Formats: sequence, structure tokens, C-alpha cells
Amino acid sequence: MDADHVRDKARRDLLGLLEGVRGKKNLVISQDLAGPVGLFIKFSVLQEYGVDRVFLLENANIDSSQRHVVFLVRGEKAQHVGIVAEQIKRLRNSSNVEHEFSIFFAPRRTLVSNAVMEEAGITGDVNVAEFPLYFMPLEQDVLSLELNDAFSDLYLHKDPGCIFLAAKALMEIQQRHGYFPRIVGKGDNARRLADMLLRMRKELDAEESSGLAGPSSRGLLPSADTENLIIIDRDVDFGTPLLTQLTYEGLIDEYVGIKHNQADVDTSIVGQAPQSQESSKAPQPPKPGLKRKIQLDASDQLFSQLRDTNFAIVGDILNKVARRLETEYESRHTAKTTGELREFVNRLPTYQLEHQSLRIHTNLAEEIMRLTRSETFRKLLEVQQNDAAGADPTYQHETIEELIARDVPIKNVLRLLCLESCMSGGLRPRDLENFKRQVIQAYGHQHLLTFWALEKMELLQPRSSATTMLLPTTSGAHAGTKTNYGYLRKNLRLVIEEVSEKDPNDISYVYSGFAPLSVRLVQCVLQKPYMLSLIKGGSPAASMNAASTASPGWLGFEDVVKSARGSTFSVVQKGDDKAVRARQTLSGSHATKTVYVFFLGGITFTEIAALRFIAAQEAPRRKIVICTTGIISGDRIMEAAVEKDSFAPAE
Amino acid sequence: MAPSNPLANWDKLGDSFYRRVSVYDAIFDEDVELENYLVTGAPYGGAIALYRDESKPVRFRDTQTSRSSIDIYSCSGKPINRIHWEQSSLRGIGWSDKEELLVVTEDGTVRRYFGLDGEFTSFSLGNGAEEYGVRACQFWASGLVALLSNNQLIAVSKYDEPRPKLLAPCPEGEVSSWSLIPPAHTLSRSVEVLLAVDKTVYLVDSTEAEDKILQDGPFKHVSVSPSGRFVALLTGEGKLWVVSNDFQNKFSEYDSKSRVPPSSVNWCGDDAVILAWEDEIHLVGPNGSASKYYYDGRVHVIPEFDGVRLVTNDTCEFLHKVTDVTEEIFRLGSSSPASILLDSVEQLEKKSPKADENIQRIRSSLPSAVDTCIKAAGYEFDSYWQKRLLKAASFGKSVLELYNSDDFVEMTEKLRVLAAARDYKVGLPGSYEQYLRLTPEGLIERLINRHEYLLAIRVSEYLQIPADRIYVHWASQKVKVSAVDDEAVCKLIVQRLDGKPGISFEVIAQAAYDEGRSHLATQLLNHEPRAGKQVPLLLNMEEDELALDKAIESGDDDLVNYVLLHLKSKLPLASFFRMINTRPMASALVETAARDGDMELLKDLFYQDDRPIEGSNVLLSEALQEPDLQRRTEKLHLAARLLSDSKDATVVLHQKLISEASQLLKTQESLDKDLADGPEYLGLSLNETIYRLIRAGYGKRAHKVQGEFKIPEKTYWWLRLRALVAKRDWGELEDLAKAKKSPIGWEPFYNEILGAGNTKLASMFVPKCTNLPVADRIEMWVKCGMIVKAAEEAHKAKDVNTLETLQTRASGPAVSEIERMINQLRPRK
Repeated sequence: MDADHVRDKARRDLLGLLEGVRGKKNLVISQDLAGPVGLFIKFSVLQEYGVDRVFLLENANIDSSQRHVVFLVRGEKAQHVGIVAEQIKRLRNSSNVEHEFSIFFAPRRTLVSNAVMEEAGITGDVNVAEFPLYFMPLEQDVLSLELNDAFSDLYLHKDPGCIFLAAKALMEIQQRHGYFPRIVGKGDNARRLADMLLRMRKELDAEESSGLAGPSSRGLLPSADTENLIIIDRDVDFGTPLLTQLTYEGLIDEYVGIKHNQADVDTSIVGQAPQSQESSKAPQPPKPGLKRKIQLDASDQLFSQLRDTNFAIVGDILNKVARRLETEYESRHTAKTTGELREFVNRLPTYQLEHQSLRIHTNLAEEIMRLTRSETFRKLLEVQQNDAAGADPTYQHETIEELIARDVPIKNVLRLLCLESCMSGGLRPRDLENFKRQVIQAYGHQHLLTFWALEKMELLQPRSSATTMLLPTTSGAHAGTKTNYGYLRKNLRLVIEEVSEKDPNDISYVYSGFAPLSVRLVQCVLQKPYMLSLIKGGSPAASMNAASTASPGWLGFEDVVKSARGSTFSVVQKGDDKAVRARQTLSGSHATKTVYVFFLGGITFTEIAALRFIAAQEAPRRKIVICTTGIISGDRIMEAAVEKDSFAPAE
Repeated sequence: MAPSNPLANWDKLGDSFYRRVSVYDAIFDEDVELENYLVTGAPYGGAIALYRDESKPVRFRDTQTSRSSIDIYSCSGKPINRIHWEQSSLRGIGWSDKEELLVVTEDGTVRRYFGLDGEFTSFSLGNGAEEYGVRACQFWASGLVALLSNNQLIAVSKYDEPRPKLLAPCPEGEVSSWSLIPPAHTLSRSVEVLLAVDKTVYLVDSTEAEDKILQDGPFKHVSVSPSGRFVALLTGEGKLWVVSNDFQNKFSEYDSKSRVPPSSVNWCGDDAVILAWEDEIHLVGPNGSASKYYYDGRVHVIPEFDGVRLVTNDTCEFLHKVTDVTEEIFRLGSSSPASILLDSVEQLEKKSPKADENIQRIRSSLPSAVDTCIKAAGYEFDSYWQKRLLKAASFGKSVLELYNSDDFVEMTEKLRVLAAARDYKVGLPGSYEQYLRLTPEGLIERLINRHEYLLAIRVSEYLQIPADRIYVHWASQKVKVSAVDDEAVCKLIVQRLDGKPGISFEVIAQAAYDEGRSHLATQLLNHEPRAGKQVPLLLNMEEDELALDKAIESGDDDLVNYVLLHLKSKLPLASFFRMINTRPMASALVETAARDGDMELLKDLFYQDDRPIEGSNVLLSEALQEPDLQRRTEKLHLAARLLSDSKDATVVLHQKLISEASQLLKTQESLDKDLADGPEYLGLSLNETIYRLIRAGYGKRAHKVQGEFKIPEKTYWWLRLRALVAKRDWGELEDLAKAKKSPIGWEPFYNEILGAGNTKLASMFVPKCTNLPVADRIEMWVKCGMIVKAAEEAHKAKDVNTLETLQTRASGPAVSEIERMINQLRPRK
């Protein structure tokens, strides 16, 4: 499994580096790595390897309690390297301890960080090592680069750094499994990523057998157990993440926020973390404002059951589980023989764990329920659903204006505006001007910058004459500069109103009737017969069992796909034919083939749910590994744009 | 040639045997007076460096010899290179295991010569080396330690990025001798030093100098065994002690009976110590057993981890412990299975039936006998005996039904390679064990250093090791020495290297550039497939634009940033901007980098690029960060002024809103002055300002602000509603209810007031919500707890069903009231 391999490797690499620094040491880690590191290593393990205390780089509070100080920062971030240099100099001047400094750069040491260290005059005095941390395992089927800034870098700053890292990460997968036999993709940045992969392969071939490349990469062939790599550029489908996610995990992300598989939930909702019994004799009343970290991953069985379901049925499931647990617990009374009793006692720890998790999720679900019942939520959702369904957006304007006047969080308002802009190719200039004025008057003039950023990201635009009729339906001469949802809604059946939330038969259940375009595109590659019958209007369930024919790439959907933004491509990576055939006879044809789906610029939990839904349908023929630059949500997209400074005096 | 006696030159030392293998003879010319030279050799049979010992008197002959130089020879005496040395006095000369020659001068400069070609890099030891002067140096495989005249020790543990580090301060006193323990054998995993001072020995690491408390010093020599487990000490009386590395146990003592201390004390493997005088050598084994060797001239000892090389004018010998396998086979009277196996080959050749007899006798232990023969072949230097042993092994395994031949095949391969390397023309006399440590890649590296390209390629092909480095080195050498014109050289190289994988043209191009042939370098660089690799050289060659393009092509943002950093510091700003503005990735990266700290650059960029809105945005961000109101307003004015020329509608709006921002600040300033003690309104958004004004009871001021900034009526009503509810100003709200019309309808009033808990007031708004369906209104009444009112509503709509439902929820008199209504609606029977 890729996830296990990635986790083990990351752990091994980091511990190896830490071991290289003899004795006790303090670890200074930058914020954007502290969370991700938690995904593959526990603090207690770090302690075993001599880490005494962990400091956050941003807090600038490293002290001289240990002689050895280890910094762990991203080499790409010149600014962080600058801070490291400052702290090293400060520590060296202020303390009389002869410090030994080490810097571990993740995932690589860069020329720019070298230059920064050189300029700061610390190059000669620090041990420098690389910590090749690319993909991090979020789940068995989800690999993420955990780059928080990938979205703003790509679409706001037009900085393609994360594409390079993505390519490096994918090269690691290729070096393990062999080349992706085919790379299919949609979007201009996706194209860049594919080109970079091809280039890196060429360079690796050139480097092959030179000392630079490890022996593992020698004679790399197209992989036998991989089917293809599908790259979806986020900007192909900005619309989907702007909608409020309606799966359980998605809603938690919307309202609490999930970072690196953890959510900080108010203790007034979920209660305090269970503490060792000696320390707290009397149960303390939960203090407001205190946060408790809730681990949200597959280690929690109940959560795995809930995470990808539509929120509408979460209550049902919780009830059922509660009842089951109760009957199980009651079974202790019916236990007669000692054997039965022992069995019950053996099950007790699992039972307690389950019970705990049930309590957490019931509380969380109730809290979310409370939020979703509020009037503003209903109004937000109504506007979203109308926009997604393609209703005339101007009818929604009054609601949006009301929401502004009622001072709902600015991100919610902007999401609605951007959604309208994405779905209908921009706002009428007069409307846009009007909203701009209202938002700025309501939330502050600093949001002039916010609007500028949104326009630069092409999330919110005036509908110009050129784009009014942006419908390059089949003209196809130039790839669409904007995704034409109007056309795709029809031709890829994005809206399925009769979808069942309880027993879904189509991915559209994740938004209660709207199928994420991004995942529909994946279906165009993987589930052609299903898509065809869907478009023809057949019942979605009917054709599911038809085996997917082996028409590769976009075949059959070339024209439709053209209406989505950016370039469309499908590249075959060939190897030495003879070697391929020889290996095929040696290893036989694999029953399960892996499909890697890479979401460049981020993926939402709903899209992950939708992809898992497809994966379940395709099993056991196919396995889907979801790769991404990071988890994203509408709010996180807005965060990239929203100006954080305000004219109000600092507190 | 008659086979040499395998037992020749065996010497018994205690329980084991040592042997001297003569590897080469006739090494140095007669006129090289070895006694006047310091001799050091690279590990694993590497090159030897000769440097005239400055402490010896120099016989004046001619200018040639009086000029000092370091001469590098192969072990077979073949001159490889001569390095002229005119720098300050030399204090240490040694080798790394990569066959890099390290030369340390008195002032603490270290030169690292790599590739035996005389190319070098240098660095300084610092840490006071300059003031106090280096006294001596010792080396290990990848580092060195220098002893300063003030007894300070400086360690360098790697040469790629040398970081000279001071070890713990040492006690004062006369250092009579010293030795280092390589990091691989210490507990601290960094280098430690044994320093014999006065009567005792100190163990010095990076944190402390530990006194081992000995009384028998001063010790003339200290030497650590290759495994780091034993230490040899030579006392002033000429006694040799071998002690454990913690100085707790003394294992043996040997009295050399010489008043003159030996010139060197070295370990020969881990079990014996060699004392060397001018022309005499004592090999001291465990328990003080010893054998002595005498030479005609000066003999130099070059230690290896598994033995020593002994170099004289005439011979190069390898003195080492006879391995167990060899001993097992060749020892006189040996009856081990392996020995019998070897014997049976001889019988077989004589067609004697004894061959089979022998085999039958050792049948049960045949597999191990075969293994032993294979191993023993590795330790033989004479190809005759190698062949005999392999033949025996081959014979033995042919008898066996099942035998894994991998070891056999590998051994033949290794021996072939070793034989080629040991040839006197090449002069790399490594032992089998040394070859294993050196690795095949390491051997090829050494062949390259000696320009033995053909052999190197043959070896790499034979062992299936990448050959690209060999080709690249060859090409680089070609570039340096060939005199023909650039086109011809380039053509020759490209032709020769065509189709070879992994060739780094960038390295060759760099060599050409270093030679001053930049045209050739450019040509060669075009053949480099990796765009990223071309960049640093292109920058060096001042091909700035090309470098930038190649960096962009590589897609590596770091590389692009690096080039940009370089160009920004080098070019005038205008031409820098010109260069980036046609390259979107470059300008995006410049923008991103500038945002992190160089706002002025950003402004210049936007100005140069004619992007007024973005320029104005920079000023706006600055205004946001500016705490002083006066300057903040100035920034806003500047931001607005930047946009004043444009006629574009969005720009005009942008400008208007910026002006509005400063206007708002002004208004808020006066609000603060008039109504508040401190800054209460300053910096709020417009809506927030109005909201707070109303909440604080300044309705009029709020209304004025609304007019001033043209807040839409709807928004204003919403703000008023929310603020009044927050203020719990029910009276004012009741007044509002008297109005005929509300631009936001009356439902929000109902909702907000109900949400605040005032059901009575909320209910006042229900009748005003005339546009809502009856059912909604009924629900609204119910929420206010007014079932009767709700029932009236239902009654008006003649909805009996609802009335009945309501009746179930009612209590007290309401029940009969509703009953009455139901009865009214029911058709009379």
C-alpha cells in the first residue's frame, strides 16, 4: 500500500535524521510542518529519539535548555529560513552554551535557502540535511502534500512551486510501481504537471545508470499494476468547492475545520478529553472556549461509517449504533456461563471505545444539526442549490443582499457571489459593482483587496461581452477559458434531483442532488458506460454492472470535456515493448489495477466521498488512490483571497 | 615460471602467522633518497605522496631538487603528478579514502587536492590556527584533526562542507605524541583524540579532556588499532605496551631494547604492532612475541586496516596476518578438508586414484571445504595459487549435487578485476578485503583518476556498473588538453558519447568553461538533457537570459528564484524588469518574493508594468498596516491618485471606494471625538458604524452617516432592526411597527424580536405580514404562544383541520374558545 509505505518512509527518514544528532535536542518546527508531521509520528516517539521539547518556529521562543537545536522547516520558504537564521544568531549571541545547530529541510534543500543562509552568515556553522517529505498519508486511499498555500500559490500568485513538488511526489510513486501507463488530465496546470512528469522521466532516463539515480529507478517500465493517472486541475471546477459540503465529514470541515485529520472542537460540545482518573476526581464542568482535539480518521470505526454519508441520514445511523451498543451491553445480564461472561469482558474495551466515539459523534452531529436548522443556513443553501441547478441567479440577489445586511460571515457571502460567477460565467457588471459596494460597506474597505484577489483568481468576474456567451460548446477551436456549467450540467448530468441520500446510486448524493463536475470528469475516464447511459437519460442504476470497456483516456467524451476550462490531454507512457511483454508473462496480469487521481490545487471531503463511491463500484477491478496538494473547502478558498488586515486599531 | 612457495615469507608470531607479500619491485629510482622524504599513502593501495622532510638537511645539488614539491607516485613507483609547493611551511600531509590529498600548512590553510590532477579547493581551519600555528595533523578516512602549538585541537569531519570545530581545551604541557580515534569507533560518534602530555594520556572529545591517569609517560608514540579497541603506547624507555581503549587492561609489553625511539609505530591489522626504524622493523604480536625484518635502505610504513604496506626503493611489500582460511589450507601438515581438497586436484592431474579417495574422505565436510578454497583464493596475490584454489573449489563443487555457485562466480570476477588493478602499469595493489571496502565504484573512480579510461570502461562493463562518469571524465580531459578547434572537439565528444546513458554534458561544459573555452561550453551545454543542470553554468557564463529560460523550462521554482535573485542583484532594475515581464512565471515569482518584504520593488514593478490598480493596492495594504491615522490617510490619497487618470468603470469604482475609505475614517474620527472616550468607531466598516451608533442610541447620527455614504434603505432597516433588538429597545421597535411599510417586510421584525424572546412584541408584527400564507401566520402565532390568535387566523381561513390540531395544543379557556370556532364552521346538522 502506498499510504503505509509513505508513512513508514517518512517516519524512518525523520528518525534517522534525528538520530544523526547525538544526545538530547530541542526541535523547532514551522507551523506548516508541525501538523503534517503528526500524521506519521507521535511526540512520544520523537522523545525516544532524544527530542526534549518542541517549539514552534513562529513563536520564536526557543531557549538554550539543550545544546543541540534542530530546525525543521520547508526549504522552499525563504522567509522561514530567514527566521531560522535570525533565531540561530540570537541564540548564539545571547546564551553562553556552545550550541550545535542542525537544519532539516523538507522536502529539499533549495538554492534560495542556501543563499539566505549564506547572507546571514550561518552556512558554515550549521549541519544541513534534507528530509524528503512529499506525500503524507491522510488515509489508506488518500495521499496529500499538505500544502496549505497550494491554492493561493497556484491561482492567486501564479506560483507553480506546488506543481513541481507534486511532480516530485508522483515520481516517487512511479519509481516504486513503474511509470503510469497513461496520464489523463484536464486543466492547464494539470497539463503542466503532466509535462513535468514526462520531462522528469526523460531526465531520469538520462540519469539512469549515472550515480545520481538510485539503483531502484534503473530500467523503469510502465507499471503493470497501475492503470493510469488522472490529473484534475482545481480551476476546471471552482464551482463545486464553493457549495456547502453536505456529507458528515464535509460539514464538520465547514463548521469546525479539519486539519491533518484533526478537528478542534469546543469542549462545550464534545466534553473534555478523558483524563487519567487520579488527576480529576470530580468531573469539572466544561469551560467554554476550550478546544479538544478530535482525531478524525479510519481508526475510529464509527466515523469511517459516517464520514462519507449525506448528513441527512447521519442521525439514523447514530441511532442504530446506539441501539446496537445498548443491546450488546445489556447482553451481560443474559450471560450465563463463565465463558460467555469472559467473552463479554474481553469485548469491554472495544465497547467502551465505541461508546466514547458514539458520544462524540452524537454531540457533534447535534451541534451541526443546530447550525443547519438556522435560517441563514437555509437561505445560503437555497441560493447555492438554485445556482447549481442553473436557475436565473438574479432572483437570488435579494437574499444575498439580506445576508450581507444581516452580517453573516463574509466568506459565506463571497462564496455565494463566486458561485454565481462560476456557474453563470460572471456577474452582470452592474450587479457586481452593486455587491462590491455593499460588501465593502458591510465588512470594511480593506476588502477592495479581497475583490481584487478574487478577480485575479477568476473566481468572481464581471460578465464581459466576450464571456457572456462563453459557450464554446462544440466549436472547440480554442479550449474554453471558463468552464461552461450550463452546457455541462446538461451533458454530464450534474443535477440529479431524485438521488437518494440514504441509499445513493449516484455521486450527486454528496451535495444532495448536485454531482461534482470534477468527479464527473473522472467518471468520464473510468465509467464510460455509466456516463453514457446517464446522459441518454437512462436510470442511473441500470448500467452500473456493464463492464467498463477499455476505451482509454477521454475517448467518447472529447467534445463534452472541451466545455470545461483548460487543456485536455491523454498521454501514453511507453516502455521498451519487449521488456513490458516479458514482464507481463512473468508476473501475469494483475487482477486489481490502481488508478491514481490527483487533484491539483486541492480536494474537498465531498469529492473524496464521491471518489470513494466510485471506487466501491469499481472494486475489485480497480483501486483508487486519491492524491492531492491538500484538503480544501469553500472557506479555505476564500481565505486565500480575504484581506486579513483591517482599519480597526490593533487590539 | 615455477610456482612460488605459498609458505614463503611466513613468520610465526605467537599463535598466528604473518607474511610479507612482495607486490612490486624496482619502485623508485636510485636517486630518490627515501630517507629524506616523508611518505604517506592513500588507503586501499592508493597513491603515495612524497614530500621532502624539512627536518633533514638538504644536500644542495641543483635548483630542481631544492625547489620543494609534493610528488605523487603509484605504489608501483609510477609518477602520477608533481605538485609544486611554494606556500608556507607544511605541517600535515594525508589522504582521504576517496584518494584526495590533504595538505595542511602552518597557518592553518587546508588544501584538498582531488582527482590527482593537481586541482584543489582550500579552506582555513580558523579557531586560532593562524595565531598559534599548526604543529601537526592526523587524518582518517573522511576527516582530519590538527594540533596547534597551544595544544588546541581542531577537527574537520567532512571535506565537502568543511566545518572546523574546536575540541575541548587541553591541559598545558608538552605533547609528546598523539593519535586520533575515527568517529566510527567512538561512543560519541565524533572524532576523539588521544594526547600524550607529560606523564599521562588525555582522551579529548568535543566536550571534555579526560585524564587517563597514567604514570609512565612521556609516551613517545600513541597509536590506535584499526578497530579502535586497542591502543599501543611506546614509553620513553623503548617499551611497547598494548592496552585496551579504556586504559584499564594491559595486554602485552615488549621491550624493543632500543634507545633510539622508532620513527613510527603502526598497527598491522588488529593483532600486531609495527615499530619502524630507518631500516629495521619489529613486528610485535600478542604477549610480546616479535619478529624482526631488516632492509638495505630506508623503509616506510603505510598502514592499512588489514596490514601495512612497506615501501623501500626496491620493493613494495604487503605485510599482513595470514587469514584463518589460508592458514587452514597451507600450514605445514595441515589435514583440513580444504587442504585435502587442494591436494586432490594435484592427484587428479596426475590421474591418481587418490584424488577420489581424498574426496570420499572429506565428503561430509566438502561444502565447507569448497567455501574455504574460494575464500582463500581471495587472499592470494599470486595468480598461480588463485587458480589452484579455484580449481580445487571447482573440482569439489562438481562432486556436490547441490551447491550455490554465486560465491565462486563472484570471486572469479573480483580476482579478475583485482589482477587488472594490481598490474604494475596501474599500480593499485589493494588486498581482497580492501577491495571490498573500496567497492567497485571506488576502484573505477581511482582508475579514472589515473586516466586509465579503457580499463575503467572494461571493468565497468564487466561488472555492469554505470560508465557515464568515465566518459564524462574522459571528455572533460579531452576538452582540457586537445588543441584542435572547438567545433572538432565538440563533434568528437558528441560522437563518442552518442547513445551512452547518463552522460552529464553539463560537467563537460563546465570543464570547457573553466579552460576558458566558453564557445565550446555553450555548444556542449546544448546536449545536456536536464534543463536544470544547465542553469548554474549558464549563469557563470553570463548567459543570463538563457539561464532564466532554462530554469523556467525545468519547472523548478527554486531554480527560477535562484536565477532571479542573481539577476536582481546584478542588473539595473529597468533591465531586470524588462527581462521578467515577458516571462509570466518569473514575474509571478518576483511578485511573490517581493510581497514578503520588498514593497518598494513591488511598486516599481507595477509602475514599470503599467498596472495602476495593483500599484494602488500595494499602497492600500500599506495603509492598512499604518497605525498613524494621518499617514494612513495620506497613503489612501496616494492610492486613489494612482487611479485618477483612468476612465475604465471598474477602476473608477475602485478609486471611489478608496476615497470613501478615507472619508469614512474622517467621519469616524469625529464620531470618536464627539461621542466616545477613545477610538470606538475608527476603523469599523460602514455597516458596523451605523449598527453601533444605533445601539448606543445615536439614531440621528446614524441616519446622517447613512445619508452621507448612501447606504441602501434596506440595509439601513436591517441594521436598525438588529441594533435595536440588541439594545432591547422595545419602545423604538414598537414605534417602527406603526409605520405603514418596511422595505424589508415585517417578517424579519417578527423573527428577530422573537429570537430575542419578546413574544408580545413579536406578535404585534404577525398581522402585518399580510403577504405570507395563512399557515405560516398560524405558526407564527403559535410560536408566540397565542393559540387563540392562531385559531382566529384558521377560523378566518375556514380551516377546520388546523383548528382541531390547535385545539389539542391549547389549554384552559382557549380550548372552549376553539371549540366554539369549530362549531361555527361545522355545518349545522
